[in-house]
Amino acid sequence: MTFIELQGVTKSYSKGEHRITPLADVTLEIKQGEFFVLLGPSGSGKTTLLNLLGGIDRPDDGTVRVNGTSLNSMGPRGLAAWRATHVGYVFQAHHLIPVLTAYENIELPLHLFTLDARQRHERVALALAAVGLTDRATHYPRQLSGGQEQRVAIARALVADPPLLICDEPTGNLDRDSAQATMHLLRRLNEERGKTLVMVTHDVNAASFGSRVLRLDKGKLLEQPAESVQ
Amino acid sequence: MRLLLKLAYRYLRRRPGRTALTLAGVASSFLLFVCIESLAAGLDRALSGQDAARTLIVYRMNRYCPQTSFLPERYAKRVREIEGVESVLPVKVYLSNCRASLDVVAFQGAPADELLATRPIEVIAGDVERFKNQPQSALIGREFAARRGLGPGDSFRFGDISVDVAGVFRSRDSVNEGLILTHLEFLQRASSVNRLGTVTQLEVKVDQAENSGRIAREIDALFKSDEEPTDTRSQLQFLEDSTRELRELLAFARIFGLVCVAVVLVLVANTVLMSVQERRKDFGIYATIGFRAPHITGVVLIETLFLTLGGGLLGVVGALCAIHFSHLSLGVEGVIVTFDLSPMVFVRGALVALVAALLACLAPAWRAANTDPQLLLKGA
Ligand SMILES: Nc1ncnc2c1ncn2[C@@H]1O[C@H](COP(=O)(O)OP(=O)(O)O)[C@@H](O)[C@H]1O
Ligand SMILES: [Mg+2]
Repeated sequence: MTFIELQGVTKSYSKGEHRITPLADVTLEIKQGEFFVLLGPSGSGKTTLLNLLGGIDRPDDGTVRVNGTSLNSMGPRGLAAWRATHVGYVFQAHHLIPVLTAYENIELPLHLFTLDARQRHERVALALAAVGLTDRATHYPRQLSGGQEQRVAIARALVADPPLLICDEPTGNLDRDSAQATMHLLRRLNEERGKTLVMVTHDVNAASFGSRVLRLDKGKLLEQPAESVQ
Repeated sequence: MRLLLKLAYRYLRRRPGRTALTLAGVASSFLLFVCIESLAAGLDRALSGQDAARTLIVYRMNRYCPQTSFLPERYAKRVREIEGVESVLPVKVYLSNCRASLDVVAFQGAPADELLATRPIEVIAGDVERFKNQPQSALIGREFAARRGLGPGDSFRFGDISVDVAGVFRSRDSVNEGLILTHLEFLQRASSVNRLGTVTQLEVKVDQAENSGRIAREIDALFKSDEEPTDTRSQLQFLEDSTRELRELLAFARIFGLVCVAVVLVLVANTVLMSVQERRKDFGIYATIGFRAPHITGVVLIETLFLTLGGGLLGVVGALCAIHFSHLSLGVEGVIVTFDLSPMVFVRGALVALVAALLACLAPAWRAANTDPQLLLKGA
């Protein structure tokens, strides 16, 4: 079943006199429960694409549909509410709120729902357990390692139980072991909880965890030659 | 809402030095502002004595300081004969300092019975009879008593003059409350310029306020070619003339006080803008998660309000405490103006702090609300 559908999507930016078009007439379908990976060098438009299908940005042309809803027709308010319920985001490291503890960072999205304190606590405790950080609940981000920070970020993306997880170079700032652990965690979420994952990366090793890998180059999507994905 | 409060608190606490300095800056500005406003209010109160319209002050012509005004005591008897005059109180004034200064000591000597009958004073501690019977004794205003820590039974010495405090009084006319009231003859003998038979001024009560102009003119006409020509004004006019320079200075100082508040505004806005700038990435995170502008601006607003209102209230309360415990007063040409500690001064200070807080919010809130989440996350 098709979960995400991009049809003829174009996005360009003007930088001074230049006009750069990271995405030119991109058409893409992602199925429900897929672990979709987009590979590409830095500056190729990967983040731009994620922003479009995550409802953070709008295309200049073309349509974006997620789970049957067209994002094009939604206003900023509608998009914010849609993001809160449908998408969890994991970015390159250091995307936690520095003044909140791990627990409070994870709890943050739940404040947008009508849940009482006990219900929030239950969900946060589950998310913390899922990423194996129950004993780090009261730590602030600066007291955590890069890998632990990234796991907190994943827990925060999970806590409201959205069907879609969007990961922008989640291993970009991590050492090999932490990167490996993070990827295993993401794969488990995909396999055991049926989350649809869309991940972009320029790390070939991380890409190997995906169930489908495409390459973004000069604004176009290309099939990833099988041999380069091991 | 609890989340917003928690976030505001955490962000403020993250930079304790900056928060403390900003609070201190706001507090000191408001301290100054409230002190100026309090003095201005005290001056207004001094000029709004209830008897001012029905009381005339007869002074030596062309003299403006009590030190240099001498009128023969016998003038009192002739003024009493003018139609419409209810009473005449001959008063000798002795001052530590004629120019504007803090902590002025002001003696006024007058015949005891007449003094008690005409001045609107009420003895709240000590013994009036003792005052009447002992020529060396004095009644002191409660402001002066508090300022110098004096009470009944104490004695007080200033220069050549030494008095025993027989009682403390309060008065509905605030200008009285900083005075030391003594017997006329005692003060005439005691003051270094010993001039028996002369007084500084005559205080004339008239039967009806509308007669005061006519009576003033009659008094001056009466002594026009006498040895000491007079200048008679209503008490209000007299107070206004005595405090003219002070009032002009204060009008300027009040502008200065408002400038201070404007500086506060800029200070707070700058602090919060800095903090907003520093947190652009955080705003991006909130927005991505699904929070919207009101949430983000809410936190910034709470921080701004806290800094301005918190610092403002610290300053206002600090100023009121300082004034209350120091019993400061300002004397000029024998008129003693006490700082006003009425709730109005407090309310005005608090209101100004609130307005300043709301104005200081504008720039940071606008900035916070107009940050684009995706721009913030990219390259962050
Ligand atoms: N808001 C923007 N304004 C101008 N140029 C942008 C903006 N966002 C991205 N770009 C440009 O678009 C191109 C693709 O960016 P991005 O999607 O972030 O690449 P990637 O994530 O693959 O590294 C880059 O050249 C970048 O400079
Ligand atoms: Mg990127």
